[in-house]
Order: sequence, then structure tokens, then C-alpha cells
Amino acid sequence: MSASQNVAAAPPTRSKLQKLIWNFHNNPKRELWIAWYTIIVFYNIFGIVFFGITRTQPPPPASLTPREIVEWFADNRMGLLVGFGVIFFMGPIVTASTALIAYSMRRMSVSPAFAHTYLILYSLAAVPGMLLTCIVLVVGAMRPDRDPQLMATLYDMGFLAFSGTMGIFLIGSVIWAVAILLDKNNILPKWFGYFNVCNALTEVVVATCCIYKEGPFAWDGEIAFYINLVVFGIYTGCFITYLKAMIEKEDPQVDYLPNKV
Amino acid sequence: MNNTARYEDFKSRSELDSGEAKYPGQAAMWALVMIEAMTFSAYFVVYTIYYKLNPEAFLRSQAELSLGFGVFNTVILLTSSLSIALCVFHSREGNIRTALRYCLLTVAGGLLFSALKIYEWSVEIGKGFTFSSDEFFSYYYFFTGMHLLHVLVGFIALGVVYYQLINPSRRDQEIIESGATFWHMVDFLWVIIFALLYVMR
Amino acid sequence: MNISTQSRLLFFWGVLTAITLIAWWIGTHHSDTSLHPEAAVGLSAMAITLIKVRVIIREFMDVRNAPSKLKYITDAWLVIFIICISIAYFAI
Repeated sequence: MSASQNVAAAPPTRSKLQKLIWNFHNNPKRELWIAWYTIIVFYNIFGIVFFGITRTQPPPPASLTPREIVEWFADNRMGLLVGFGVIFFMGPIVTASTALIAYSMRRMSVSPAFAHTYLILYSLAAVPGMLLTCIVLVVGAMRPDRDPQLMATLYDMGFLAFSGTMGIFLIGSVIWAVAILLDKNNILPKWFGYFNVCNALTEVVVATCCIYKEGPFAWDGEIAFYINLVVFGIYTGCFITYLKAMIEKEDPQVDYLPNKV
Repeated sequence: MNNTARYEDFKSRSELDSGEAKYPGQAAMWALVMIEAMTFSAYFVVYTIYYKLNPEAFLRSQAELSLGFGVFNTVILLTSSLSIALCVFHSREGNIRTALRYCLLTVAGGLLFSALKIYEWSVEIGKGFTFSSDEFFSYYYFFTGMHLLHVLVGFIALGVVYYQLINPSRRDQEIIESGATFWHMVDFLWVIIFALLYVMR
Repeated sequence: MNISTQSRLLFFWGVLTAITLIAWWIGTHHSDTSLHPEAAVGLSAMAITLIKVRVIIREFMDVRNAPSKLKYITDAWLVIFIICISIAYFAI
């Protein structure tokens, strides 16, 4: 009864739970699937926390006065504390997304340098891009009787950290785009490589939020936020779908990482 | 071998006797063109809405723009579009040296456009109009800036076209036409920007 | 065939340049100098955009010889875009 005989056996068809347990033990691609499902879990939690519980997305106006900002913190206090508490606990699972994308680049015929650069870049991206916002807004919510000017500073810091760190995502998109377009193994479709270019160019727009506090170029504006959100949302849906297709297509007996060291 | 087949493909395609029509360049590049077109369309609609909400201020600022600059830039870009279209035509016919010359002409047009754009910005900044001075100028710098970014990416596309043309062993007609398609997109986006920013009142 | 393709491209370049010069004329000779939106100029700007972009797509980008799907998609985008701009321009 060798191990290879076990793997060759078909998964039991009795119940979904049986199938899940069999896959967990025997599916040769199980790490990839665990990573992929983690991405789904993360983005659902992200959506519920940021859009539903904390109400920090869509962002509140950049034009509020310090007194209105104190009111905003008071109104959203429990939401901010609970929601971002969840992110403090579960936020780091986003690394599964970075890992799977970097893995997709390792499967490509291009140099592993692409995957490594992307990995380093995105490992650093979550700190200012997400965690800093959570920390700063929780600090503001925790003691609501601070000086309004201080609260306004925390408010600005929180939202500018979220929007202003787009440079990392921009460069990351360019790296992935170049890798996909140069790839001869066709791991991911070429049009998605071009879409990465479009995503990168759209993120340039966000930089205007450093200057404007109201209108379409502020962090809550139509151009700097909403149109960007639509493009990014479609982009995220696409890459999750394509990563799934990539995992399904992979044949563990035949496919291996090129440039194997 | 493969490449020769491609030339014949394209030669007969224009007579439509080879059967079904083919996408000019990669279909993937067309996906990018449509996505960019839609994104810019959204930006333009936002601009029009904000213009109608405050027409006097916008028109006062628009009067500070020089229509001549806009016209000259448009003609330069149209000519560069012509030259890249001629480059593609000659590459299909197999006249590689002519195609290379037209490709370089396109690059020259792009460089002239960029230089003129930067000069125009310096004139407006000299008059005191910056990105944050008023609403109209925030849109002006935003649209022309985003467009210039696309021109710079366009230079990369033209570089790829040139690189494909000079080496017969790696020449891929599809990639050459895709690069040209991107440059045409840069052109028609500018045509819309010119009409909305400079002409429309 | 070769000559006609080249002269076709040249002809449409001429058309586009002529339209641009007409736009220049419209821009410098509008009826009054007051700071009000002028529907005539607005409409001409939109018509000019429609014609020019369609010519670029059909002739320069060679969509004339492309599959019908691409023709429909590019035309549809252009029409919907002009309609949205018109709605924004006239309805506010």
C-alpha cells in the first residue's frame, strides 16, 4: 500500500465533507487551493469591515472641519474599534494573495526576479496601505475626548495613508504586467497583462488627493476615488478568477518551476 | 517560415479573399484600448458635469488657454498617427526599411508633441495658473498630464515596434500592429481632450 | 491596391486636419464673448469629436477590415460616449 497508490485513488463521492478531507490529505495542489480560498476569505472580510462596519469606504469627505471630524469619530466609534480589531487579528492573511501572484510569476518563463521584487514590494505595501490607516483611526476612536485639531490630524493621516500609498500598487502592477507580456508559458492571458497597465495608470490619479480637499480630485472625489474603485474592483475580480484557472490548469506531474535552483 | 505566412495573410486580408477578417493587432491590445477609452470617457463626463455647474469660472479660465497650441498639437499627433499607419502598411508589404523610417517619424512626432506640451505648461504656469489655482486648470493639468503619461507609454510601444522590425528572426506582425493600435489610441484620446478643453463652450 | 491604400490614408489625414482647422475657426469666431455656454459651439465640438474619432478608428486603426464584432463595439462606445456628454452638457 504505497503512498502513490493512495494519491491515484479517486476522492470519495459520498459527501462534501469526505471530499474536503480527502483533498486536504491527498490533493497535490492543496497548498495552492488553501492560498486561493484564503484570498476569497480575506476580500470578503475586507469588504464587510471597511464598507459595512467601519464605514471608512467610501471615504468620508476630506473637507470636514475639526468639529465635524470629532462628530464622525463619535458616530463611528464602535464600528471603528470592532472592525479594525478584526483587521488587526486577520488582516495579515492577505499575504496569501501576494504569495499566489508571486507564484504565478515564478511559473512564467521570465526571470524569478520579477516574482521576488513583487513579493518584497507587496510585503511592505500592507503596512502603510492598510495597517497604518487602521492603527491611526483606532487611536482616534479610542479616546474621543482629544483636542479636535489632534483628531483632524489623525483623520487626515488615516485616509491619506490609505489613498496615498498607491505608488506601491502601481509599481507592482507594472511588474506583473511586464512579466505576463514577456511570458512564453501563457500562464495568464495577455489581455490581463495590458489590464495591469491600465490599472497602474489609473492609480496615478490618486496622487491628486494630497492637494485637493474637495471636488473630484479629493480622496472622496469621483475621479480620485470612485472611478479608480470601479477599475480596481474589476481588476481584483479578474485576477482572482485567473488565479483559479491557473491552479486548475496546473498538472503537478508535468509542470514545475522554471529556473529551478 | 511563420513570418512569411503572416505577410501573405495580411496582404490578402485587405482584399478580404482569405475568408474571415482578422483583428488589427492582438485582440488583447483592443481590450486595453476599450478599457482605457471607457475610463477616460468617465473622466470626460465628470468634467462636463462640473463645467455645467459653474460655467462662468470655467470659461474665464478657458480663455487663458491658447487655442493655437491645441490645434498645432492635434495636427502633430494626427500626422504621427498617419506615419505609424504607413509604417504598418509598409511592414505588411515587406518594405522594412521604409517601415522603420515611418516608425522613427512617429517617434519624432511624439517627441515634438511632448516638448510643445511642456512648453505650453510653462507658459500657463508663468501666467500663474497651476494645478491647484482653479477648477478648470485642475482638469486641464489632469487631462493633459494623464495624456502625456500615455504618450510616454506609447514611446515604449513604438520602441517595441522598432525592435520587432529590425530583426527578421523575431519579427511578429501582430505585435507591430498592436503597438500601432496603442499609438492611435493616444491620438484619438487627444482629439477628444482638444475638443472638450479647448473648443467646447 | 498598394497606391490606393496609401492615398486613402493620406486623404483621411487631410480630412482630419481640415476638420481641426475648422474647429480652430469655430473656437476663435464664436458669436459673443460673454461667459456663457454656447449650444452651437458645444454641439459642433461633439460632432467634430464623433467624426474625427470614428475616422481614426475606421481608417487609421484599420477597423474597416476587422471582424464585425470590433466594428460594433467601437461604434457603440463612441455613440454612448457622445450621448453621455450631450446629456451632461444639455441637462445640467
